[in-house]
Amino acid sequence: MDAISRRAFAEQLALAAAAPWFLEEVRAQTPQPPGSKPQAQQPQEPSALAKALAEGVRLRYPDRFTADDLAAITRSIEGRLRAIERLYQTSLTNADEPDFVYAVYRGAD
Amino acid sequence: MDFAFLSVVELGRLLRQKKTSATELATYFLDRLERLGPKFNAVVTITRERAVVEAAAADREIRAGKWRGPLHGIPYGVKDLLATKDYPTTWGAEPYRQQKFDSDATVIGRLGAAGAVLVGKLAMVELAGGMGYNQANASFTGPGKTPWNPDYWSGGSSSGPGAAVAAGLVPFAIGSETSGSILTPAAYCGVTGLRPTYGLVSRHGAMALAWTMDKLGPLGRTAEDCGIVLFHIAGKDPKDPSSVDRDLKGMADAPTKRYRIGIPKGADKDIQAEVAANFRAALKVLEDRLEIVEDVELPDLPYGAVAGMIIAAEGASAFDDLLKDGRLSQLTAPEDRTGGYPALAVSAPDYLRALRVRRPMQRALDDFLKKFDALAVPTRTAVSTPIDKSFREGWPGVTGGANVIGPTNVVGVPAISVPNGFGVQNLPTGLSFTARAFDEGKLVTLARLYQSRTDWHTRRPPAAIG
Repeated sequence: MDAISRRAFAEQLALAAAAPWFLEEVRAQTPQPPGSKPQAQQPQEPSALAKALAEGVRLRYPDRFTADDLAAITRSIEGRLRAIERLYQTSLTNADEPDFVYAVYRGAD
Repeated sequence: MDFAFLSVVELGRLLRQKKTSATELATYFLDRLERLGPKFNAVVTITRERAVVEAAAADREIRAGKWRGPLHGIPYGVKDLLATKDYPTTWGAEPYRQQKFDSDATVIGRLGAAGAVLVGKLAMVELAGGMGYNQANASFTGPGKTPWNPDYWSGGSSSGPGAAVAAGLVPFAIGSETSGSILTPAAYCGVTGLRPTYGLVSRHGAMALAWTMDKLGPLGRTAEDCGIVLFHIAGKDPKDPSSVDRDLKGMADAPTKRYRIGIPKGADKDIQAEVAANFRAALKVLEDRLEIVEDVELPDLPYGAVAGMIIAAEGASAFDDLLKDGRLSQLTAPEDRTGGYPALAVSAPDYLRALRVRRPMQRALDDFLKKFDALAVPTRTAVSTPIDKSFREGWPGVTGGANVIGPTNVVGVPAISVPNGFGVQNLPTGLSFTARAFDEGKLVTLARLYQSRTDWHTRRPPAAIG
């Protein structure tokens, strides 16, 4: 998988769980050969980390999920892990703070 | 008189000329909501008692010569994620069907202060789509249906506001957008939708999906109407620390120059042919006022990864009670019942990383947007999807287009969508303009110019006539 398609794929997977419109937008950016039919995403075996994190979710709520539920959760976690890789490809310095400002509070005297 | 498809401006003129009253308008739209709302799954609660009281008060004031402005006596609806005293506020989700708040959202308070009359709380995708829905049937009110063809979706997550405005059930409505939830129903329903800059409209009293991405804004018949509504709901609110004050007078300006418009690379490539044709035709309508720059490219940054992380983490936190007690299982769309759990595997440093990346992203996108008055794209790359198919199955051959909705929502800049024609199945298509933060005036002026030369915004869906 080359860098561009890897990035697009990672973002597409990452967004599947949280933002369907992002998913569609990202999919729309994925290059397709002219006249080709869109290809179904090849199923991939989730990583060991994704499986472990999904297991953590299961342990948190042990009686809640079917096998299909857990498979969907694992796939979604796998996608998010791939997106996280992209987040760390953007260079930041120690001085780059999150885009919110904490303000101290002092109530009425 | 047939009020259903008149604009706010036209209705206001009739009120000032004493050719109608606020009470007559409220009764008229309440009846339409009751009669036609179910046909499009557009309504959750009709606020008849409140509307009657508010309309009577408006009539008293108007008779006494106390004119509050262009919204005085005008009926409206809100997406059912805005807290409304004495009525349920359901967030479109079964677990919150009986939820009530003891005060109004700031936006409702401001519209009330402007004299507008709340007639209904409108349907929406459950939890504004935050759990990852992939189909129209994702609300306890059923799939939202576009009045142009009820076999097709009205768009989401502001499904009710889009359908209700299109069907003439309300003159305008308030929707919300975290990522496409105003622009999409505007396009799919053939109405005008204005997504304001993040912070311009107070979110106090609105359901939170992603605190740092949620925006409230109007859907209406015209850009002028949307500008009027925004003018009345915008501004600093002590109850929402993210809210800001800005001068919005520019929205009423006449166009005085040629607008430099960037067309993102691939915007009309490999999308539905009718959508592409309508997009180019729309630009042609404005060609004497536009300087078009083709094939512009947004800075290459991980917009999707940042948005996905923020929505997942903030959404899981906002609904942690549902995750904890398992009530997600009560949601309508099967994929929503598990969609929140993967976010439990998001680490705090990863979420913070996304927030840190967003700051240089904001600067880069602002530097890019400042080269233009606006970007123009087809709002959606295809017309609405059939209500009985998943989004992925709706138009599988449509693989192109430019990703603008996503990146511009992550950084919180404004956009407007106007109807610009019809496509497959005689479903409406939309044209969007997107600009720098707080350039709503420019967007409304551009959209007004387009609507002064076209009549797409005046078309009436046959299913809603009568």
